[in-house]
Amino acid sequence: MTQARSLIDENGKRTDGRTENQLREIKITVGVIKNADGSAFIEFGMNKILAAVYGPREVHPKHMALPDRCVLRCRYHMTPFSTDTRKNPAPSRREVEISKVMREALEPALMLEDYPRTAIDVYVEVLQADGGSRCAGITAASVALADAGINMRDIVAACAAGKINGKIVMDINDTEDKEGDADMPVAYMPHLEQVTLLQLDGILNDEQFSQCLDEAIKGCKMVYEIQRKALMQEYFGDETEMKEEQ
Amino acid sequence: MQEIRRKYVVPGDKITEGNLRPLFNVFRAGNSLVATRVGIAEAGREGVKVIPLSGVYIPRTNDIVIGKVMDHSSLSWEVDINSCFSAHLPAQDVFGRDFSPARDDMGRELANGDLITARIIAFDRTRDPMITIQDKDLGKIPRGEFIKISATRVPRLIGKRGSMIQTIEQATRTRILIGQNGVIVVTGRNAEGIALAIKAIRMVEEEAHTSNLTQRVKSLLGIPESQVETPQGASNNPHSSEDASSLRNGELQEGKDQDSL
Repeated sequence: MTQARSLIDENGKRTDGRTENQLREIKITVGVIKNADGSAFIEFGMNKILAAVYGPREVHPKHMALPDRCVLRCRYHMTPFSTDTRKNPAPSRREVEISKVMREALEPALMLEDYPRTAIDVYVEVLQADGGSRCAGITAASVALADAGINMRDIVAACAAGKINGKIVMDINDTEDKEGDADMPVAYMPHLEQVTLLQLDGILNDEQFSQCLDEAIKGCKMVYEIQRKALMQEYFGDETEMKEEQ
Repeated sequence: MQEIRRKYVVPGDKITEGNLRPLFNVFRAGNSLVATRVGIAEAGREGVKVIPLSGVYIPRTNDIVIGKVMDHSSLSWEVDINSCFSAHLPAQDVFGRDFSPARDDMGRELANGDLITARIIAFDRTRDPMITIQDKDLGKIPRGEFIKISATRVPRLIGKRGSMIQTIEQATRTRILIGQNGVIVVTGRNAEGIALAIKAIRMVEEEAHTSNLTQRVKSLLGIPESQVETPQGASNNPHSSEDASSLRNGELQEGKDQDSL
């Protein structure tokens, strides 16, 4: 890729004023959709994404049901107004792929064998896209799953890292994704210390690869803290200690 | 009393370490016990558990549920019990052993849309739950105001030995049927009482995990602190509290889990 302009200025600041290992501002609200069993809204920089979880519920069509476990179905979708030029609302090749990797990123965290013959549907709707929407989507979906009260081994946090101007940086935004050298989205379970999604678009050597992965995991851990705080706030408010009644 | 440590948890949080038994909503990872749900973790001598604060109803045998008759085949009714599985009520349960699909008209006993109180007699991973209405206090519900709450809030709504629900019933002069599946039917003589009872139930649902809930419910119902109206309760006791509390007996072991929140 040819560099049209420098993505890191002389002060070490990136196009949106962040340092190399700084996340964009993240805000998560839990339980925004009353009709869903669980939901979350995430603002990940300029990304605005809604995630809604329905289930466990009856599987339709019935032949999809599995006798020993639950079926997890994910839909990642970008609204026509989420990008600067209108996006056709029909599922594109990219959306089908992201739906699949998102399902695979969430599946290891869920105890699907607890709900045989049922289905859990996860809908991720991108209202505004700004690069890294699959990571933000996974992050929101994971919070929505916890909100829906589905048994989980861990919460999945996701964050990307990448290479711009030959430097490894955390949390790539849209401009950096398009004009940078590499983009690596990672989903990670912080307690189990397991990676559930690892993609790479671009070229990295061995050293850069491990550096980039480390950076992404560091980002995931920071994202996890925000997820946890959002869930705690929704369910327990400002109380952190149990108080006995009567 | 043995030491019970309580803690707010989200999935993945380590509750404690050591050789304790995971009871429910807890799994063991190495030497530590980890929560699988958002809720309140309790580590006691008998084991570690998490009382969940969200989630759909998953049937368990001997649960008392309130369901809606959806359909019937020639041998059984299909009942919606507000869960991911629909329950089956065998026709023999209603007509007796000598039930004949040719002779007996199932529509006459239970029509589509009827509400019933039922007990789950069998449920496992492989089959849909089977229910019965042949027991004391089970069967068709003739009238009442129908509301749904999250099934995870049911133990809190019942309270310690039915204290919360009795408080609401007595103060509003209503009778409240509660299914473990989160379906509730409120009956009573006057509409204001029913409306107030529903308001109180909604309040319990919203604020189930917060402390001092009983006090707030009492002030909503207009009961002065530490005084429960007994004369009213006694007047409608014969059909109200006896029936209602025996119906809830099945739930109470669950109720105890959460009563002292």
